Amino acid sequence: MSAQDGTTAPAPDLSVDFAGIALRNPVLTASGTFGYGVEFGPFLDLTRLGGFVAKSLTVDPRHGNPPPRIVETPAGMLNAISLENVGVDDFVATKLPAIPDGVPVIASVFGTEIDRYAEVCKRLTGVPKVAGLEVNASCPHVKAGGIEFGQDPQALATLVAACRSATDLPLVIKLSPNVTSPAEMARVCEGEGADGIAAINTLQALEVDPETRRPALANVLGGLSGPAIRPVAQRIVFQIAQAVSIPVCGMGGITCAADAVRFLLCGATAIQVGTANYLNPEVAGEIVEGLAAYCERHGVARVADLVGALDRS
Amino acid sequence: MNVNAVRSLMAIERNEAEGRGGNRRLVLRAPADWPEPAPGQFLMLHLAPPEPPRHDPLLPRPMAVYRTERRPDATLLEVLYKVVGRGTSLLAGYDPGVALPVVGPLGRGFETPGAGETALLVGGGTGIASLYGLAAAARAQADVHVLLGARHADDLMGLADFEALGVRLSLATEDGSAGHRGLVTALLERALAEADGPTRVYACGPTPMMQAVAGLAEGAGVPCTLSLENRMACGFGVCLGCAVHGPGEKLHLVCRDGPVFDTTELRVDALP
Ligand SMILES: Cc1cc2nc3c(=O)[nH]c(=O)nc-3n(C[C@H](O)[C@H](O)[C@H](O)COP(=O)(O)OP(=O)(O)OC[C@H]3O[C@@H](n4cnc5c(N)ncnc54)[C@H](O)[C@@H]3O)c2cc1C
Ligand SMILES: Cc1cc2nc3c(=O)[nH]c(=O)nc-3n(C[C@H](O)[C@H](O)[C@H](O)COP(=O)(O)O)c2cc1C
Ligand code: FES
Repeated sequence: MSAQDGTTAPAPDLSVDFAGIALRNPVLTASGTFGYGVEFGPFLDLTRLGGFVAKSLTVDPRHGNPPPRIVETPAGMLNAISLENVGVDDFVATKLPAIPDGVPVIASVFGTEIDRYAEVCKRLTGVPKVAGLEVNASCPHVKAGGIEFGQDPQALATLVAACRSATDLPLVIKLSPNVTSPAEMARVCEGEGADGIAAINTLQALEVDPETRRPALANVLGGLSGPAIRPVAQRIVFQIAQAVSIPVCGMGGITCAADAVRFLLCGATAIQVGTANYLNPEVAGEIVEGLAAYCERHGVARVADLVGALDRS
Repeated sequence: MNVNAVRSLMAIERNEAEGRGGNRRLVLRAPADWPEPAPGQFLMLHLAPPEPPRHDPLLPRPMAVYRTERRPDATLLEVLYKVVGRGTSLLAGYDPGVALPVVGPLGRGFETPGAGETALLVGGGTGIASLYGLAAAARAQADVHVLLGARHADDLMGLADFEALGVRLSLATEDGSAGHRGLVTALLERALAEADGPTRVYACGPTPMMQAVAGLAEGAGVPCTLSLENRMACGFGVCLGCAVHGPGEKLHLVCRDGPVFDTTELRVDALP
């Protein structure tokens, strides 16, 4: 943008610090929607991103649910992929080396038991390129009868404490939206030493085929993502940001820079792009550019100034 | 994973009815240097109205690359499609000039048959579109016999194009309005009985048709290749939504490992 005297205003500073991870911009891509990063090589220069969150990893490789696993719904989609991943060791040995240097990788951690989560955290600690861990707390806790870790404050506290003692990497807890008070869950995480919160994961949902009278997914229940969930996600990010002093990474239905700005204003320090990567594999890069353009247009010198700047006057 | 795939904004050059059965022919203007697609590869077409941005339908739709034409200034991509739901209805309403975001070419295409082989290509419904490129590529070295089936003669896609290829063509319609009255699998039974020398079956169409075709090929001891038309979200191997069962514990991604599979790679009875 040209100032009146003809000189050019400095480009806006897009960098943010999220949970102790220095990001060149606040735009990350969400776990399970960006593969292991390499799949996007043909479409996107990964070094333009703030970073990316890889598909959730378990100790051993897993196959996941039977098909059909996805169905489209109004402005959204349901998925029931489950734990499918290559396993933590294969990720470190074969996927990470293909990621260009200088792209912060946040590894997502998954398990069916607390000690399995902690083991994945341990194996990722000290691995080059892994800048932080995001613990996916939305997995059913087998021993507690299938209830999600993220739905029970007690189980969540134990999980966060176990992961905390397994790693000195920045530790982010990704919360389930399928609870009465996500903010209360975020407080539990903060109390156990988490460095940041990521929200939201998918909303538990069900789609039905009236012709066959069957559920659309083999798993019956699935997780709703995409633009349909964005206002719900914004509400939850807003409530969490008010409740804790650790930073929040916001996501849910972001498809453009304006959506990213919405989450920042609600209190997110960084954002993740999920389902939109399927619609347009170049979208995360476009959002980075759009964010810079927004800042220029609004005279915002540092994107960090937008965080929590919702004007409620 | 096909690393040649690119995302391009493609203007619609033509979009017109093909016969009276609800099939349509779409011609898209791709960049001149658009990657060379293999027969059986597909595109992901984003069909929500482009401006202002809308989210319904949210997901792009997979469509086979039917035919390409290289021009000095552009590559013309042809797609034959059937109007079956929201995405394809919207597409049918777009005039020439409207630009759609398209990702492709995607997936693993067909391996063309060897010299002197007999290739039996069995197509049903929209699956016919996936076979045209194979028929065109294989006819130089193989004895190509195309067997097409539909409910009614008007539903047969691309018929004139197959005729123009000069390959052997047999038709079946359920109401007898063209060719044999009945299912295309009856034609395949006959063709398998007549075939001598190395023979291979290729099929794309509704799941019950492909299952029947796979069964007939197996009974005749002939290798069989299927191209699957699954629901997809991304089309390039990241959502893991398009999985199908292989033997044992194995799961394949249709968009990345296929859409073309040898039946030995699949649990044909468990196809969606
Ligand atoms: C690799 C590949 C190549 C394809 N090539 C072609 C092609 O060349 N020409 C063509 O016309 N179509 C082709 N298809 C099928 C095409 O993708 C679907 O017809 C299209 O997605 C329907 O979109 P819609 O929004 O109109 O229908 P929707 O509104 O999404 O669905 C309408 C109805 O069709 C069902 N349906 C939707 N998609 C599928 C599917 N893939 N399989 C079974 N049922 C489905 C839905 O459950 C619903 O009942 C191909 C599919 C694949 C995977
Ligand atoms: C197909 C699919 C797979 C997903 N897999 C994971 C996963 O493995 N781990 C995880 O933490 N979140 C996973 N998610 C959730 C996303 O990371 C994100 O939280 C959610 O989709 C909301 O964002 P969106 O609306 O932008 O997609 C998945 C989402 C989808 C659609
Ligand atoms: S459609 Fe996404 S992995 Fe195949």
